[in-house]
Amino acid sequence: MKIIKDKVSKLSFVALLVTLTAAMFYTPTASAHGEKSQAAFMRMRTIHWYDLDWSKDEVAINETMTISGKFHVFSGWPETVDKPEVAFLNIGIPGPVFIRQGSWIGGQLVPRSVTLELGETYDFKVLLKARRPGDWHVHTMMNVEGGGPIIGPGKWVTITGSMSEFVNPIVTLTGETINLEDYALDNVYFWHALWYAIGLAWLVFWVKRPMFIPRSIAVVDGKADSLISPLDRKIGIAFALGTVVLVMASMGATNDAYPVTTPLQAGLMRGIKWIDIPAPTVTVKVEDATYRVPGRAMQMTLTITNNGDAAVQLGEFNTASVRFLDAEVYEDESGYPDDILAEEGLTVSDNSPLAPGETRTVEVTASDAAWEVYRLADLIYDPDSRFAGLLFFFDEEGNRQMVTVDSPLIPSFI
Amino acid sequence: MSASQSAVRSRAEAVQVSRTFDWMILFTLFTAVLGGYHIHYMLTGGDWDFWTDWKDRRLWVTVAPIVSITFPAAVQACLWWRYRLPIGATICVVALMLGEWINRYLNFWGWTYFPVNFCFPSNLIPGAIVLDVILMLGGSMTLTAVVGGLAWGLLFYPGNWPIIAPLHVPVEYNGMMMTLADLQGYHYVRTGTPEYIRMVEKGTLRTFGKDVAPVSAFFSGFVSIIIYFLWHFFGKWFAKTDFIADDEL
Ligand SMILES: [Cu+2]
Repeated sequence: MKIIKDKVSKLSFVALLVTLTAAMFYTPTASAHGEKSQAAFMRMRTIHWYDLDWSKDEVAINETMTISGKFHVFSGWPETVDKPEVAFLNIGIPGPVFIRQGSWIGGQLVPRSVTLELGETYDFKVLLKARRPGDWHVHTMMNVEGGGPIIGPGKWVTITGSMSEFVNPIVTLTGETINLEDYALDNVYFWHALWYAIGLAWLVFWVKRPMFIPRSIAVVDGKADSLISPLDRKIGIAFALGTVVLVMASMGATNDAYPVTTPLQAGLMRGIKWIDIPAPTVTVKVEDATYRVPGRAMQMTLTITNNGDAAVQLGEFNTASVRFLDAEVYEDESGYPDDILAEEGLTVSDNSPLAPGETRTVEVTASDAAWEVYRLADLIYDPDSRFAGLLFFFDEEGNRQMVTVDSPLIPSFI
Repeated sequence: MSASQSAVRSRAEAVQVSRTFDWMILFTLFTAVLGGYHIHYMLTGGDWDFWTDWKDRRLWVTVAPIVSITFPAAVQACLWWRYRLPIGATICVVALMLGEWINRYLNFWGWTYFPVNFCFPSNLIPGAIVLDVILMLGGSMTLTAVVGGLAWGLLFYPGNWPIIAPLHVPVEYNGMMMTLADLQGYHYVRTGTPEYIRMVEKGTLRTFGKDVAPVSAFFSGFVSIIIYFLWHFFGKWFAKTDFIADDEL
């Protein structure tokens, strides 16, 4: 007996551990810091985020902020990633520290997934309402079916105040104003508690009598039928009928209380408007490109032709959300996150204004620690070692043109 | 150790030991089922059970009963045929829902701050009680599978409707109509659960027009019958004592 007792207690303990460790610790993904671990080519050749603006650095509970800007869907989308035929404009935050009050692409509300076209540029806006205090890294993010999350740049935003003050008032089509934060919560607790009590009552009815050993002996001895008494049957019938009656009655009462309900809404949204950007009048040919590992610098030889009617200068190279600027041509005033902004990271061998009709071959170097920190340099180990990005040219009046580049990259280890 | 000597000396002692044994077995069964069933249900039912904006009239109604009748069928097989205890289904569901509530409350709400009215579990208790009573009254696996399995599928949606109906009230939101549940899914950002993986209101059972929930429930009940048989056999096999040597008992 003692041995069995020991075995059983040991087993119980093991079962308890299994239970606690395996099942209860499941938490939905709360982390939003996958940006560095994502393959470099994914970040360089899929969605390019630019002109981003986080409207606030600090926001109080219940107040709102927006993230707005543009994203370019790269035409050299990698073969290994599914095309963005089903994509969802998300936001990279650690759980619902903000609620997403609205999100728009091309002025259209996008609570559902959309179809995006390769080679087009879209403007977007996400409206966030602060819910939980703390310092949060807030990323732009696009989920692509078959491709996973494509994370854009992140900026630290501080939420102040107390979460207990957070409210989420909504006016329903039946004319009520509710607080979605705890709406119908009492109802959830009530029904769960009631049904749980009924379930426990059924268990207690059986568990309070001697169970395993005597009943097992009776079954083995062929007296199984004596184990269920007529009273047991009656009570069982009462439980079953009571259950069915309660289900029917509560369903009827619910339908009376909520005469207007609709099914969940879902479906893909097509025909999202992109921005009509006139074709650039500057053309760029990448003659060669190397990445110098020791110098954390990428060197490109570019042949630039200006077919427009104003002289232009190269001001910015943007790849995987890291921005390399030539400070003499262009300065960022948007408050872009420091760690991915190289204000003087771009050097051009000859960046004097390129006159209309002129063609020039220049050496362009984009150098910054961000190559290493953001693991972009890893792309030299990719099966298809290519780089891609956006080049921005500016004329005298500050007009900007965007040109995409996409070319093989040769690493240099010396 | 001496195996021939009994550890109990009187009837009173035997009763006491037997009762202690009952509680230990019950505790072990409860926690083991809680762990196993909970993992199984998360892997198969997963998001359908986690979020209100997955609890639709088609797939949730179909999937949840089919994947949840498994453990109840198996544990019933053990507790009924060996002990004539008609509590197999209820003990499973009560254990599962305890585990789910701990997980949803501590992790979904306590750790990640999803509101509880967005991530509460589904109610499986009505079907479990009916399943247990049918087995007790009929004492037949076939009857329990056919009548009980069907009832399991049919009771699921109405048993949950009082809980989810308030969240199916429509709202107009920036020019679009949604239910409050849809809005919860939109407001409370899930980085790892993009909208397109949500499988709701998809399927081919559309011939019956508006009344999709009853049709889905019947379909679910029929599949539950088959799954019941399968898992009842698993349970019977698992409850065998052939692999314990006699001298260990
Ligand atoms: Cu981050």
